[in-house]
Amino acid sequence: MTQDLQEIIGRAQRGDRDAFSRLVEDHYATIFRFACRYCGNRQDAEDVTQQACIKLARSLAQFRFESAFSTWLYRLVINCARDWLKSQCKRESDELDEIPVPGKQESTVLLHQVIALVDRMGEGFRESVALVLGMGMTHAEAAAILEVKESTVSWRLHEIRKRLNDQVQPGVER
Amino acid sequence: MNEKELEKLFAGVDDEPDAGAQSRALNAALQVFDEEQSTQKNTSASQGFAAGDRLTSEHPSFGRRIMQFISSNNPTQRWLYSGMASAAVLVVGVFVALQLPQYSGMEWPAAVTQDVRESEGIAPPQLTTLSDPWDDVAAEVAAIAPQSAVRAEPERRTSADMSPAAISAAAAPSRKAESDARRASKQLLLGGPIASFTGVQSLALADADGAVVAGYQQVGRDRFETVETNPIKRTSAEPVSTFSIDVDTASYSFVRRQLNSGVLPQKAAVRLEEMVNYFPYDYPLPTDRSQPFSTNVTVLDSPWKAGNKLVHIGIQGYDILESQPRTNLVFLLDVSGSMNSPDKLPLVKQSMGLLLSRLQPQDTVSIVVYAGAAGTVLEPTPVRDKQKILAALNRLQAGGSTAGAEGIQLAYQLAESQFIEDGVNRIILATDGDFNVGINNSEELKGFVERKRASGVFLSVLGFGAGNYHDALMQALAQNGNGIAAYIDTLGEAQKVLVDEATSALFPIAKDVKIQVEFNPATVSEYRLLGYETRMLAEEDFNNDAVDAGDIGAGHSVTAIYEITPVSSDSGVFSQSRYGEAPVSEGKSDEYGYLKLRYKLPDEDTSRLLSQPIVASSTASPDVMREARFATAVAGFAQLLQGGKYTADWDYTDAITMAQANRGDDLYGYRAEFIQLIRKAEVAAAL
Repeated sequence: MTQDLQEIIGRAQRGDRDAFSRLVEDHYATIFRFACRYCGNRQDAEDVTQQACIKLARSLAQFRFESAFSTWLYRLVINCARDWLKSQCKRESDELDEIPVPGKQESTVLLHQVIALVDRMGEGFRESVALVLGMGMTHAEAAAILEVKESTVSWRLHEIRKRLNDQVQPGVER
Repeated sequence: MNEKELEKLFAGVDDEPDAGAQSRALNAALQVFDEEQSTQKNTSASQGFAAGDRLTSEHPSFGRRIMQFISSNNPTQRWLYSGMASAAVLVVGVFVALQLPQYSGMEWPAAVTQDVRESEGIAPPQLTTLSDPWDDVAAEVAAIAPQSAVRAEPERRTSADMSPAAISAAAAPSRKAESDARRASKQLLLGGPIASFTGVQSLALADADGAVVAGYQQVGRDRFETVETNPIKRTSAEPVSTFSIDVDTASYSFVRRQLNSGVLPQKAAVRLEEMVNYFPYDYPLPTDRSQPFSTNVTVLDSPWKAGNKLVHIGIQGYDILESQPRTNLVFLLDVSGSMNSPDKLPLVKQSMGLLLSRLQPQDTVSIVVYAGAAGTVLEPTPVRDKQKILAALNRLQAGGSTAGAEGIQLAYQLAESQFIEDGVNRIILATDGDFNVGINNSEELKGFVERKRASGVFLSVLGFGAGNYHDALMQALAQNGNGIAAYIDTLGEAQKVLVDEATSALFPIAKDVKIQVEFNPATVSEYRLLGYETRMLAEEDFNNDAVDAGDIGAGHSVTAIYEITPVSSDSGVFSQSRYGEAPVSEGKSDEYGYLKLRYKLPDEDTSRLLSQPIVASSTASPDVMREARFATAVAGFAQLLQGGKYTADWDYTDAITMAQANRGDDLYGYRAEFIQLIRKAEVAAAL
């Protein structure tokens, strides 16, 4: 963590309004980019990002410099995103059971379907794919944020890959 | 969709933050930030449980003191107390848990002893007349009711680690077994006295059985049918010997596998004729296509019994040299869990790959696999798409149980759908053992294969792996399906069966080949057929075309050996019959017997007959003599492995000498390997 960032966070924690404002400005783009990949569409991502900023204001005082600020921030955003997802009662009611085929629809719709499919695979899959494939992180970085083992992330991605190009042969066990 | 596409999809997301949205978010955040700061100034602790701020009595009640103690504000204290509470529960839990298995462990001896007491009460006690009552009773019970004793044993074993409830369930059959044994022993010692043995002794008996069970498992579960070796026959009593030819080679490969692992094979695993027929022999090829094979009869002195002679009958089928018929093959592969070892499924895949190299581009191959269920992995595919076939093979993995019968049905359907008129339609079954799901009645299965044979689809069986090999069933299936049964233990063997001898394995040139030899009582007093025990036919079946027999593939050679005792020799085992008529020689004193051979061409239903006399002073070429001597060495070795009932002093060293001297060209090195095997057998026998 740079000296600069550490100082800004310290000042914001002590109640410096400008420092907090700068902190948000500096990180807004990162949060938004992640939110886009997690939610799959722009509008929801904006909502999530705003919620995350508000939450940052509330809980910045609890940041103890025990981990990298970005790691802590990602966790916070993921929590916000999960809460937001829960509040969406309809929860992607338009999901389809078939495996999405590229080129058939517009890419946003396709992405939405892929994310819905991944989400149904289990807890943590959606986050893993957004962090690794979406944000280009290594498995280790993603594992640190999600507070799981690196192998867990690798396994999740392996499962996702398998499910996305699955073409089961009768009688052949994979 | 793959990972790359997904990444691209993510990269394509429009993620430019909107300035308006950003400022809105910032404002909202700042507003909260301000609120946060102001509340922090007013109260020191705005979050969390506010109990500490409530008004409470100065002298809290007892209950409140306890609650405060537990829900202490200090996290260390909280952890400590909850930890202590958990530990306390654990201590109680451990004791309760420990009690349970101890209790069930005590349960069964009590129950068994009770059973034994019951049996004592019923059976009249004392067997004082016997010198060692314990040994005799053990021997008797074992002899009388081996099934019931063994049946009781596993039940007792498992019950030791089962819950009490399960024990009482298991107790019922074991009680039944006990009473079986009791009834049987009563029958034997009708009215006689019986030993009174204690519960402890009866447990020792059960444990002795247990030792037998454990030993049995170590040997493995390869199943062979024990067949009595063909006995010596008196020519005057039974001058005619009839059998069906056998071109299988499975026995030799299995024996080799056992010897290579340093142990002598089970006697039942040694089939002499299969060991002899494993080797290609250099018999002259038939000259005329109308008669698909040549017969070569040679007479030699018996190496293991002075005075006796060996009559060799060598049959050589013609080889398809020019055009290979079109072929429709269905690989029926076992992918059940037991195939999951390096000498099984991987070897199957490699073997099938080898076989592909012998097929023509327009031949078709399909793959059916079976495990818990059967499925088509590869629809009929021409061999020119070799990559596709290999890819399908390589995808296979082992897992599940074995529904072989279902697989067979599916394979026949597939083979019939691609049926080639005038071509070869064959299913190649590769498996390690039995079929435990579906039609598991082997008679029914054999009947099914036999009916299908009439439709023109033949079945060959390739056996793999050791430990669960069901030899008898494999043999029966191949025999009924007009195919070969081979056992593949190494890639080298796969090469031999599927590449070097592919034509003989795939393309039959004659079917239902039967041999009948009538010995001349004037010249031969006794005779014995070496091997072919499982292929013996009744004399009258020789001329009955409805009776099935062995098949010969292109280029196959088949050898049969008789050991005979000439009348003039005193090396026979039967003593002279006092009342026997003196044999009359009708000018055929030079003939030992008359050889007849029946066969059908692959697409015909009426048999043809070949015949020739067996002449005492044979005039075979040196090459044929050499081949006959090598076959003798193999036959002798097989007899040694079977126990050497008729070989007298002849031993492994003699076998090596004989095989060494008659190796011939040995193009593929099979004979050199054979000599190594004899050495290994010598070592294993000495152990």
